[in-house]
Order: sequence, then structure tokens, then C-alpha cells
Amino acid sequence: MTPALEALQKALKQLPGIGYRSAERIALHLLVEKPGRLPELVAALESAARSVRRCTVCGNLAEEEHCAVCADERRRTGQVCVVEYVPDLAAIERSGAYRGRYHVLHGKLSPIRGVAPEDLNLAALLRRIESGETTEVILALSNDVEGEATCHYLTERLPKAGVKVTRIGFGLPSGGGVLYADAVTLRSALEARRDYS
Amino acid sequence: MRFSRVTLQGFRNLPLAEVALVGKRTFLCGANAQGKTNFLEALGYVTALRSFRGAESRALLGLGVTQAGLGYTVEHETFGESRLTITLTPQDRVVEWEHGKVTRLADFIGKFPTVAFSSQDNQFLRGAPSLRRRWLDLTLAAMDGAYLTALQRYTRAVAERNMLLKQGGRDAGALEAFEHELAAHAVTLVARRTVGIAELGELFRAAHARLVPEGEQAGLVYAPDTAVTAPAEFAALLVNCRTRDTLLKTTERGPHRDDLELVLNGRPAKQFASEGQQRCLVIALRLAQAAYFRAKGGVTPVLLSDDVLGELDPGRREKFWASLEGEPQVIATGTSLPADAAGWQVLTVEAGGVQ
Repeated sequence: MTPALEALQKALKQLPGIGYRSAERIALHLLVEKPGRLPELVAALESAARSVRRCTVCGNLAEEEHCAVCADERRRTGQVCVVEYVPDLAAIERSGAYRGRYHVLHGKLSPIRGVAPEDLNLAALLRRIESGETTEVILALSNDVEGEATCHYLTERLPKAGVKVTRIGFGLPSGGGVLYADAVTLRSALEARRDYS
Repeated sequence: MRFSRVTLQGFRNLPLAEVALVGKRTFLCGANAQGKTNFLEALGYVTALRSFRGAESRALLGLGVTQAGLGYTVEHETFGESRLTITLTPQDRVVEWEHGKVTRLADFIGKFPTVAFSSQDNQFLRGAPSLRRRWLDLTLAAMDGAYLTALQRYTRAVAERNMLLKQGGRDAGALEAFEHELAAHAVTLVARRTVGIAELGELFRAAHARLVPEGEQAGLVYAPDTAVTAPAEFAALLVNCRTRDTLLKTTERGPHRDDLELVLNGRPAKQFASEGQQRCLVIALRLAQAAYFRAKGGVTPVLLSDDVLGELDPGRREKFWASLEGEPQVIATGTSLPADAAGWQVLTVEAGGVQ
């Protein structure tokens, strides 16, 4: 072990999902096994740090002022789907089921984790809705206590008229049977039932 | 259900015990500090992967032992004859059942119900309300997934609100958001506790009547902190409490302050019942819990009775044994055999050996 290697390992260990062993493995991989990868990684990190920023409209990641979704004129501008994090947006995009715009809050209210309303990308959303283009806000936040509280907080602050507020459904997974679903999921599925005719 | 065979290795003071349990009644007889309760504790562990004495896993391992093994052969109403093994280490517990390792322990908990009667149960009456709430929550949540979810979410929402209060309670918007969530679950908890306690109360009354001489009538009374029926009503109450709660830095009102009162002939048992009467009440509470599990889950729990008859007079002791008549399996401990030892399989426990 050298001081520089230890410093590298320590820095890697700070990253999410990486523990002591993984940090050691990655550090040795980059320095000993495949040193050729190092310049490539350094360049990629520098370039990303320089050019990736938040979209000024929705908070999604972008390299220009607007992200790819906000810049796409074919997307429906009336619908805004509110998500907690960028990966949530990416997941909905992969589904191909949604053609509207997004708004990324970058978190949810949680006093325990030190997340207050001002830490969320909320003001931009309210401004966006007040500007009048939005007709529907779809709340796609998780249905845990913090997600529900955030939805409630947001709904209380949205204009009472002119904007429809909807919550995504929670229920049975696609292809799943009723028999194997737990009681809570079944309850959500029944509550979110819809006309079938 | 019933245990037909139990193998314990390195558990507490039992280095190796291999016991076949025959018939409906087993009595573990021995002097103090020989391992009788440890044996019962090992049987009870299969229910919630937790000691009924509240001991942590580390304390369950024998002195100088790094791993303990618990093996059970169980006859179960739903699963038929099942083989189970639990491996305990200071850090972990691994459950293997039929086809292999159980990955989601939450799904396993409660599948093999036992109800333990222990001398610590008197705390139900004398101790803090949190003990009675815990008993109620465990009993209801084991049979009702929606109750468990509401309880978990309510507890989380209270913790979030308390954190806001500790920060000075200035953000009325955030307080309101969590109070809205909290209120919805609070109403669910109160409603389900009301129904649950009514059902448990009936079973409790019946079980108690079998234990005591005529003329004693027991009851279970729900004492909710706030008897609200609509979330909006509860949310309004929380708004009113904000100033006081901010000073105290905690949420003062709500189902987390509920209590459960045991009454004897219409009076609070805590103050008016004698030692023997109190013992009968807590035994009846355990019997009611077992009957509730049987009625709701369709599986009859094994009753584990840990030397609970100390304070009882001969008449009440006799009634206790008679009240267990219909139970498929009772495993009891004591320093001396019950008066009518016929029909019991007697095992002697001495210095960590069971035979």
C-alpha cells in the first residue's frame, strides 16, 4: 500500500454501492492490471463534469440549456410527469409509454434525511405550471411515506383550477397473478381499478 | 401444529439435545438453572426468529460457541410434515426449510406459530403501556398484512414529523404534508385495533372464565389516545397540537400512545387484582392470543408454558391444566410434575441434558 493508492481507494469507497473490497479491486485494476484505461476514465470524468448540468426547465440532465426531452418539439407539452430522480425518468422513457414532458425533483421530502422543501426542485415546477402551458400533472413518485407526503405537499401548492393532477397506479405487476400478490398490493390494485367495457 | 422432533446444538447451556416429542403433552422437569426455559426458548424461536425472553442472538449461543444449530420436525396443518433448521451465529441467522434457504425472512415469520407463557408476562399488567401495545401490534399484525403496513407507515410518518419538530417546527407546509399521511394511517390503526380488541376481548373473557372460580369476570378495554374516525379530524387535532409538540419536540397525541386495559369485575386489574388473579389474567391473555391465531390463520399454535403456576392455588392450577384440554400440543416446564401426571411425556432436564 502506498499513500496515493490509499487516497484513491478512500475516494472510491465514498461512491454509492462501493465498499472496501470493491474500492481496493477497482484501484488495483486501474493502476496495475489495466493502466491503459486510466486516461480514458479521467477524460470521461472531466468531460462529464464540464458539460453535464441540469436542464433549466425540468431538472433532467442536459448538456445544453434544455434536456433532450424538453428540446424535442414532438413531445406533448401539456403533460408533466413528476419524478424523484433521473433514473426514474430514464425508466419511464425506456417503457416508451409516455410522450409528455417531465419534472425531476431530485429527491423527496424527508426531514430524517435532512431533505426540506427548499432542497427539492419544486419552485421551478410551480413557476412552470403557473406559466399556463400545463394541463395535467402526473405524480410518479414512490408510494412510501415520504413519496406520499411530497405528493400532498405539491398538490397543496398547485393551482386549484385548470390543471388536472393524477397519481400513477400501484398494483399487480404485468403478467402477475392475483394469487401470488400480497394483501397490500391487492388493495392498491382494487383501489385503482377502472371501467372495463 | 406440533413439534415431533427437536435437535439443538450449542444453544445456550444445551450442548446437544435430541428429543422426540410424543403425544399432546410434554413436561420438562428439573431443578433451577438446568436449561428448561432454554429448551422452550429454542422452540419459540421458530415463530418470529426472536427469543420470547427478549434476548439478542448473541446471548443464545452457548459459552465459547460460535454457531448454534436448531433443527425441528413439525407437523403443520398447511405444510404437512416439515423439516426446518436455523443456524445462529453472532451476526446472522439462516433458516432452511424444505427446499433450501429462506431468503425473505419477513415471509417466514409467523408461519410456525407458538405462544409462550412466561413469568415475565405479569409486566403486561404492571408495566408501561408500550408493552401492551407491543403485544397488541404483534398479535394483530401477524394475522393482518394491512395492519402491519399501516403501522409501519404510521411509525415512519411520526418519526418524520418528530424530526421537523426537533428542527423547530417552522415549516408548516412540510408538517402538514406528513400529518396528512400520518392521519390516514392513524385512523386505520384505531379502526382495526377497535375491531381486533373486541374479538380478542371475547376470546380473553372465555379463556379467563375457564381458569378461575365463578364470580370473576375479566375484560379487555381499548383506551385509545384519540378516538377519531376521520383522517381530516385527526389532522386538525395535530395542527392544534403543533405549538405544544414543538416545545416537547415530539408528537404527543396519536395511536402510538394508545393503551389496553385489563379489567376484573369492572375494575382496573392493575390496582385491584391479587397476585394470583393477575397471573390468571395474563395467562388468559396468552390463551386468547393463541385462540385468535387459530381463528384467523387456521393454524393452532403450540403452547409453551414456562413455570407460570407459581402464584396459583391448587384449584386454579387444576383449572389451568384442564383449560388446555383441547390444545394439540402443550410443552411445559416446572420444578415438580403436575398433580395429574398421567398423559404427560416427562423429560428430565439436568445440567444442559434433556432426556
